[in-house]
Amino acid sequence: MAKIRENGEVNDNDNGETESFCINDHLDLLIEVLKRLDGRSLGAAACVCRQWCSIARNDSLWEHLCFRHVSPPPIGVRPVVSALGGYRRLYMVCVRPVLSRLKRRRISGESEVVRRVWNQNEVELSMSLFCVEYYERLLVGGGRVAGDSPASSLKFLCMPVNV
Amino acid sequence: MGPYDSSISAPAGSSSTSSSACSSSTKPRQPPDQMDHLLAGAGYKVRSNDLHQVAERLEHLETAMVKSSPVEISELGHDAVHYNPTDLASWVDSLLTELNTNPPAAVGVPTDLPDLHPFPADINMYSNNPPPLHGEFSQQVVTPLEEDVSIRLVHVLMTCAEAVQRGDLSLASLLIDDLQALLGRVNSVCGIGKVGSFFVDALSRRIVNSSQNGVVQDDLSAYENEMLYHHYYEACPYLKFAHFTANQAILEAFDGQDCVHVIDFNLMQGLQWPALIQALALRPGGPPLLRLTGIGPPSPDGRDSLREIGLKLAELARSVNVRFAFRGVAASRLEDVKPWMLQVSPKEAVAVNSIMQLHKLLGPGQPIDVVLDWIHDLNPKIVMVVEQESNHNQSVFLDRFTEALYYYSTMFDSLDACTAQPVKSLAELYIQREICNVVCCEGSARVERHELLATWRDRLTNAGFAPLHLGSNAFKQARMLLTLFSAEGYSVEENEGCLTLGWHSRPLIAASAWQAVPEPSATMGQINHP
Repeated sequence: MAKIRENGEVNDNDNGETESFCINDHLDLLIEVLKRLDGRSLGAAACVCRQWCSIARNDSLWEHLCFRHVSPPPIGVRPVVSALGGYRRLYMVCVRPVLSRLKRRRISGESEVVRRVWNQNEVELSMSLFCVEYYERLLVGGGRVAGDSPASSLKFLCMPVNV
Repeated sequence: MGPYDSSISAPAGSSSTSSSACSSSTKPRQPPDQMDHLLAGAGYKVRSNDLHQVAERLEHLETAMVKSSPVEISELGHDAVHYNPTDLASWVDSLLTELNTNPPAAVGVPTDLPDLHPFPADINMYSNNPPPLHGEFSQQVVTPLEEDVSIRLVHVLMTCAEAVQRGDLSLASLLIDDLQALLGRVNSVCGIGKVGSFFVDALSRRIVNSSQNGVVQDDLSAYENEMLYHHYYEACPYLKFAHFTANQAILEAFDGQDCVHVIDFNLMQGLQWPALIQALALRPGGPPLLRLTGIGPPSPDGRDSLREIGLKLAELARSVNVRFAFRGVAASRLEDVKPWMLQVSPKEAVAVNSIMQLHKLLGPGQPIDVVLDWIHDLNPKIVMVVEQESNHNQSVFLDRFTEALYYYSTMFDSLDACTAQPVKSLAELYIQREICNVVCCEGSARVERHELLATWRDRLTNAGFAPLHLGSNAFKQARMLLTLFSAEGYSVEENEGCLTLGWHSRPLIAASAWQAVPEPSATMGQINHP
């Protein structure tokens, strides 16, 4: 018979061992949880500890975030996105501002990120903008830049919307 | 309202703005609160003590309606809520609040009114508007006084241009001084003040240099040109619209082709092509072999800038696994390019891309015909033509000037939405060079010879091209691109298969696609299109 103590430990009386459940021992579960988060929470999760940071920076999580609401899911995109800087960068530089702008235009009055289905056009536009941004960084020089701020042509996405 | 009210005593109930005599003695006194019985006879209800205010506002409304384009008036019909016009005061107010987002907070004294009562020396006492704010509000706060100065500015600009056309340079110089004074009184951060100053500058240059047979614009180095172009690209969506629309059309034209060749008439920094490369990489069936031929000015100091851009594009193409080959053609003018330089192979599908280049060929000698001929002979799958939507090629100077004034005012209005510096200033400098070329230069120096879409349609049809309709994908993409920009005034319209991007339904840039019609013999002007 297991007693649940106040501090949440499950005490299995039979063999006298205390089993505590720590998510860090079950990384597959952690990843499943992280997959369901929105971008901001995923970023916050990366700040918890080094282990979570390395997991949260895994590009496949961000791929899931970018395209989980795309119907139908885009095929063959992965090598292109990886070459252009990865899904995390795609999210930060293109997907997040594009989504929030498009959502704000259509549904005025709703505040937080609404789960909506992308259509193919929006995906393509984001990909194109991402590619232009990669190219601009190439032009400036230095190949792949580690910084998270977008190159100049996408700065318009960051500007406040004149509502 | 204090000082104004006290200088008008109650019986001055003159009901028309143009009456020259404030003849209070001839009008019977009416109790101020009652409806004016003369106007009531005509069906309007106005209180007597409101009459002068209503008169002022009618005058204001008239200037606002005359100044604004007819388009804005039609917007009045759709969106405004109009009260019953018999209640004249609130009707005028409702119209005014629609036209100016800032309703006139004070009674500005229109300077055209004849003297109804003695003016005090300081007119500013009457307008208690706050000083114009800068930043994103600046285009909405216009004092009534400032509006008059703006109207006057436009008026004097036209008069000066007319004087220049007549050759009366002494009058024109005097008017330039007037204009400088007016510019000092108007808000030069935005609106007519900003674009007006560019036009005044261009006119004065033309006057000064007129004896030397037209102005020759200083050539910027290729680097400076590219830098201005890049900032123009960032500050407003016109170039992005052009690139994305062209890419979409080219992508659709290349469907199913394995070997494709794109000829870019003005490579600049090649900002258009990464998106096409990426789209080709992702197309179902895999990417084709892409050849890009970029035409650009020769670089002075031994640097092969075309080749450098080509290398960067090649690097991008390699990252996304698209087989890519680049060739640069250095030519200072488009008419110097000969088709053999492009090395088009008969097996490949050719796309010709001209973003705001073809109008440069409309100068003396009309090299456009020769160029269109050899484009046609390349048998391209698609010819993308993007041009400014305005008629700046009229031979009569005044017409050209007027058209340019309206066109560039609209463009500067749209630019007001961008607040990032130095992007905005450099973009403005780019546009200023265009303005200067249209206004100051003549002959072969004047290269900015924009023409309307309808004219281009005729020209291209006569040269043996058939229009390709830009599909709904291009339209949707353009719409989406615009929603990403923070200003609400942009509009994309479809015009017989061509797309135009404009500001508040004045089209500013038009994109059209064409394909070569195979002809048995070279005929001009005999092709009929429905």
